[in-house]
Amino acid sequence: MNVAISAGRYRYVPATAASTSGRRASARGLMAYSEEELRSKMSAVATGDRQSFAELFAYFAPKVKSLLMRKGYDAALAEEIAQEVMLAVWRKAGLYDAARANPTTWIFSIVRNRTIDRFRNERRHTLIAPDPSDEVEGPPDGEAVLVTSDEEREVRAALSRLSEEQALIIRSFYFDDKSHSQIATDLSLPLGTVKSRVRLAIAHLRKLLDDRE
Amino acid sequence: MTAVHHPSDETLLRCAAGSLSAGPAIVVRAHTDTCQQCRRTMARFEAVGGALLKEIEPTPLNDAAFDDVLLKIDASVVRPMTTKPLGDVSMPNGNPYPRSLAHARIGKFRWLGPGFRRSNVAVAGHPRANLMLMHIGAARKMPDHGHTGVEYTLVLSGSFSDQSGRYVAGDFIELDSSVEHQPIVDPDGACLCLAALEGDMRLKGVIGRFMQWFMRA
Repeated sequence: MNVAISAGRYRYVPATAASTSGRRASARGLMAYSEEELRSKMSAVATGDRQSFAELFAYFAPKVKSLLMRKGYDAALAEEIAQEVMLAVWRKAGLYDAARANPTTWIFSIVRNRTIDRFRNERRHTLIAPDPSDEVEGPPDGEAVLVTSDEEREVRAALSRLSEEQALIIRSFYFDDKSHSQIATDLSLPLGTVKSRVRLAIAHLRKLLDDRE
Repeated sequence: MTAVHHPSDETLLRCAAGSLSAGPAIVVRAHTDTCQQCRRTMARFEAVGGALLKEIEPTPLNDAAFDDVLLKIDASVVRPMTTKPLGDVSMPNGNPYPRSLAHARIGKFRWLGPGFRRSNVAVAGHPRANLMLMHIGAARKMPDHGHTGVEYTLVLSGSFSDQSGRYVAGDFIELDSSVEHQPIVDPDGACLCLAALEGDMRLKGVIGRFMQWFMRA
């Protein structure tokens, strides 16, 4: 476990120092949870289980921090926002609906909602209040959007089938918030070329995601 | 109510990824609220975000980071998070507003020209959301106009037509600066639209543009 309990308190232990205690671990010695395991931790957190929250924190906070640093936030601000995101996870665990999204996707959407239109170099990050838009927007009554644990595998498979350039373009939307003209500058390509390559990359991804059905 | 005009895949992906601004994102979500097809596509693109988060290499936090969060949990009164209803505010035709506006504040509709009223929609935490509601009378013809940025529009009620087609409730229109069009509201009733401009447009420019329509009308 990544978490040690000391004197009745739950302590976060940096992932690199974790003992795996029988769990499967990746080659780098880090904990890897399946979405199933994450779901059961989410429902435990919804009942106020701090041990499960500590495990989710150990797993997600360092990934969220990395994502924010990829988005251009400096390490200190990335850490601060990662903490806010995890605080939101604690507060909103009861609103999490496993039928609508995997835990990782849900947490991704919390990060996203907190970083839309934010300035990367904003010194004072002012958004402390829980953001109501973090709630997973679900379909109106009765529509079943059953998200299976397979989804994650399938989405990853789809991503792995993109060409290197297409994967780069897709990632730039999630990590870099780059405009077409910025991508054009980065790749030293004319704007028109970039626009059509972006369209092709998205169409390909869409097809791969649709085909998994 | 079945939409014929939908957001492009790129717009849905940008909305899911977080690279679309707050105002346009609300317009997109107001569309996916009623469009199952786009809602599914959006959910897939969000799952891509989840997959990318999952594969990212972690960056360790400070040792005290978790304790800091626990302190905050202990220090704060844990409020149950529930969705706050929009209140009694409903659209001019009496129907409820889309759920994506649930946390927005709808301003007074102000007269901007004959048959044309507009309301600024304030989005908490996003002072530059550039989101607005436009109420245009039946059979009103708007002068030709271009766009200075990409404009995202959702028809909430009523319908209008322009050179490229007819737009009914649920329809989503995105137009970039290269497009000039002349919308005419259909004669059977007024039209209510939710619209947002991409990026950091100066509000002055927006008002100026609408005033320009009015002057030329």
